Amino acid sequence: MNKTLDFNEFIILDGAMGTMLQAHGMKAGDLPETYNILQAKIIETIHREYIEAGANIITTNTFGANCYKYRDSNFKLEDIIGEGVQIARRAAGYNLVALNIGPLGQLMEPYGNLSFNDAYEAFKEQVVIGTKAGADLILIETMSDTYEAKAAILAAKENSSLPVICTMTFQENGRSLTGTDPFTMVNILQNLGLDAIGINCSLGPNEMMPLIPKIVDYSKIPIIVQANAGLPKIVDGETFYDVSPLEFANYVEEMADLGVTVFGGCCGTTPKHISAIKDALEAKAPHKVKVKPITAASSSTRTEILGNEVKIIGERINPTGKKLLQAALRKNDMDYLLKEAIVQKDKGAHILDVNVGLPEINEEELMVQAIKEIQGVVNLPLQIDSVVPQVIEAGARVCNGRPIINSVNGEAKIMESIFPIAKKYGCLVIGLTLDENGIPKTAKERLNIAKHIVDTAKTYGIPKEDIIIDCLVLTASAQQKEVKETIKAVELVKKELGVATTLGVSNVSFGLPSRGILNRTFLATALGAGLDAPILNPSEEDMISTVAAFNLLWNHDKDSKSYIASYSNLTKETSPKEEIGTKDLKKAIIDGRKKESSQLVKELLQTMTGLEIVDNYLIPALDIVGENYEKGQIFLPQLIQSAEAVKKSFEVIKENMILENKDEAPIEKGKIVLATVKGDIHDIGKNIVKVLLENYGYEVLDLGRDVPITKVVDTVKKEDISLVGLSALMTTTVKNMELTIEALRKECPDCKVMVGGAVLTQSYADMIGADFYARDARDSVNIANKLLLED
Amino acid sequence: MIVCKKEALRYLGYNKQNIDNNTKYLLDECIEELTGLINKKSVYKIFNIEWENEAIHLEDTILHMESKDIANHLAKSDKCALMAASLGLEVDMKIAFYARTNLSKSLILDACASSAIETYCDQVEETIAMEASDKGYNITSRFSPGYGDLDIGLQKPISQILETYPKMGLTVSENSIMMPRKSVTAIIGWQRGKPSTKINKCKLCNNINCLYRKADNNE
Repeated sequence: MNKTLDFNEFIILDGAMGTMLQAHGMKAGDLPETYNILQAKIIETIHREYIEAGANIITTNTFGANCYKYRDSNFKLEDIIGEGVQIARRAAGYNLVALNIGPLGQLMEPYGNLSFNDAYEAFKEQVVIGTKAGADLILIETMSDTYEAKAAILAAKENSSLPVICTMTFQENGRSLTGTDPFTMVNILQNLGLDAIGINCSLGPNEMMPLIPKIVDYSKIPIIVQANAGLPKIVDGETFYDVSPLEFANYVEEMADLGVTVFGGCCGTTPKHISAIKDALEAKAPHKVKVKPITAASSSTRTEILGNEVKIIGERINPTGKKLLQAALRKNDMDYLLKEAIVQKDKGAHILDVNVGLPEINEEELMVQAIKEIQGVVNLPLQIDSVVPQVIEAGARVCNGRPIINSVNGEAKIMESIFPIAKKYGCLVIGLTLDENGIPKTAKERLNIAKHIVDTAKTYGIPKEDIIIDCLVLTASAQQKEVKETIKAVELVKKELGVATTLGVSNVSFGLPSRGILNRTFLATALGAGLDAPILNPSEEDMISTVAAFNLLWNHDKDSKSYIASYSNLTKETSPKEEIGTKDLKKAIIDGRKKESSQLVKELLQTMTGLEIVDNYLIPALDIVGENYEKGQIFLPQLIQSAEAVKKSFEVIKENMILENKDEAPIEKGKIVLATVKGDIHDIGKNIVKVLLENYGYEVLDLGRDVPITKVVDTVKKEDISLVGLSALMTTTVKNMELTIEALRKECPDCKVMVGGAVLTQSYADMIGADFYARDARDSVNIANKLLLED
Repeated sequence: MIVCKKEALRYLGYNKQNIDNNTKYLLDECIEELTGLINKKSVYKIFNIEWENEAIHLEDTILHMESKDIANHLAKSDKCALMAASLGLEVDMKIAFYARTNLSKSLILDACASSAIETYCDQVEETIAMEASDKGYNITSRFSPGYGDLDIGLQKPISQILETYPKMGLTVSENSIMMPRKSVTAIIGWQRGKPSTKINKCKLCNNINCLYRKADNNE
């Protein structure tokens, strides 16, 4: 019978494996886990030494035993991991064996090409083998990316019933390599059902000390620290670590006093360090820390706490009543959505609500895509807004952070479907104070529903600090009497339940003139009553300034710093980043002035149609720019600035058509699919081609980079595409270009393919079966014109 | 200054055109912004070279290189340094951000970063040269997987040997793409006697129509 895992006591993990293996003569670059098969005795000896030194848990030699690192090896993961667990089992005796799972060594999307699902599958394979082989717990360690850690934790929780503990690694600047701080790590990961959380590797105990308080203050679960034996030092090309076991143990004592209870070592530590830890903890008892309950949402690099300073939840990504967003979502135009996200952040939003519900689209797919895209460019926490539980779950799963779910209400059925999702993915949840009978008239009744929601959440293991109550704003034009009930309800909820609150403020003024006046007045009153996080449009200056003023008056904005920074020189115009030109659209485009171009287009639209502007201004200007470029009179950045000016002009024209319901002939000439092929992530060239094709009136379906072959084929079929542009920058990925072309030939024989990219040449293009070789972006326009206009 | 403006302009296809004020402004803005984004990290290690006929093996490592060009490059060397250097992930993030919001800036920032990683590699090379000199060696220029006939796939074992992921967050994909993008792995020979002349990397490449092919000291 093995010892049980008791987190009420100190737990001692083992120390470094790699360091020990190098001492046993492992070659640089070897896969250390192969020793489980080739040199099992050595591994067993190392484990035994750690057990003898006092470790309660030894970790298997399986850190890098994943399908990515072993893809080219002759070993099967089943053997490597299976043996790894067996060896540890033999050495452990009654002590416990932790299945060690390290990072996959690949960069996750959106910056790398490891998708969340692929990461999950890779971890799942390790978890399944290790659990079957008889591990007692799972240690996910040395993670740099919260997204990868989340994939690993979900894989462990969903495919094993073993306890799961996890550590991340931080640099001296207090951030992980992907930018996460320890507090954010705690907020995201502890709510995924971990048994313990902590930090390891990269730093010595001294450098780790400053990171510990934030973890201790907010972690509801036991805390692990596995430091290196100091920072690495290099002498004569050899790396070594020089914190002695005794010194190491001194830090362990300090950390234990702060509240850390699980200790071990990382790079450079030896059985002697572990033995010193054991001695140091002998006379100590675990220090229980009282954790501050907080209501906090996180992106991977940023955490927003509700309850002090007012936090703004941006409402703009919601198609209800927004024609442009509706049109963009129907066309899968993520650029528009991202623009909304970026503008809201720039205007001061702290959290972004994301709602992509439209009747005729696949909301689940679109939610996943929207979340992935937004978190790739904007580092704000997200709020997943849908009435469909599957959509919420899909969103919560792929969200890199700790999102808010919008929403549940007092209906049993809704809570039954949403709370398990919130619990599993560790989300915050908005609770609307309505139920089967609708929105109650009085504040008291709304409080009762709020209380019911909070109590029900508790039965799912969701504490009240993870609930945000929305007391619901009614419109003054229809239910004037009840408007102030909302304010009273906010007050009551704050007082009686002590939970965070939110409100969709602008509903109040619906149907009345000068809505801004009503909105800001209502907002100010609600904030005074205890509203923590209004949902609003951050572009409405009235609202933003009200929040800024409130934060100052309520002493959240210390020394009025933010307020002064924003409002002290209102009269000073924001610095014009563009030189102002001659008010001539053609000239503005040729000079690459984006803002001026779109402004001039707006003016011209008063007197002429979009098509006339395209024909009389945009195309002639583009022709001049193209000619200048070909003659070598301007260079690439100048060409692109003009292209962007044209793009902005087109946007204004298209938006005008949608908003005015104009029934003009469409200005698009045809659809073209663009993709950077599977495996390749270089997309600057493709982006340039895209903007130029759009300039010449083509609608570009940009599939992005690292695009699976099936996605290209499916899009071509679905959209009935006659021209595809593929790009690849590397010799290694041209193969995938060839395979993509092959698949297109088979499935869509009528579709033509043009290819481009640094390593391609005409003969290379011929060899892989492309129809056209585009030497540069301008060339691709010529190809498109020839193919699509001469039909 | 880590960005060489002249190099950045070369990556942007510059050929003595008149640069307007907006573009000048963008370039300066990108250089400044890049400085705040760079989180440069590097590792290097020195190994003994073992010749196995035409092939080169680095002692006590898994690295085995069969390539005429690297054999030529290391012909007089009995040791070599493996190095890896990277500007970090934030640079990639910002370039991707601008790709969606301001393509000109994305393009220019990318070019500036390309120049910056070269400058940074020069600095690392300098350190390696000093260490070599202390031991009585001079060094060859940098030679990277993908130059000439040296298999680009060798980036993976080099990354494993130098433990670039745990030490500096540098990964190599299945298709031998390094991420973060602005990263370099290279081999630098240690030799006795006279320093070798600098190689022109472009000369080793078959893409003779390349936009970036260096015109100076070419052929």
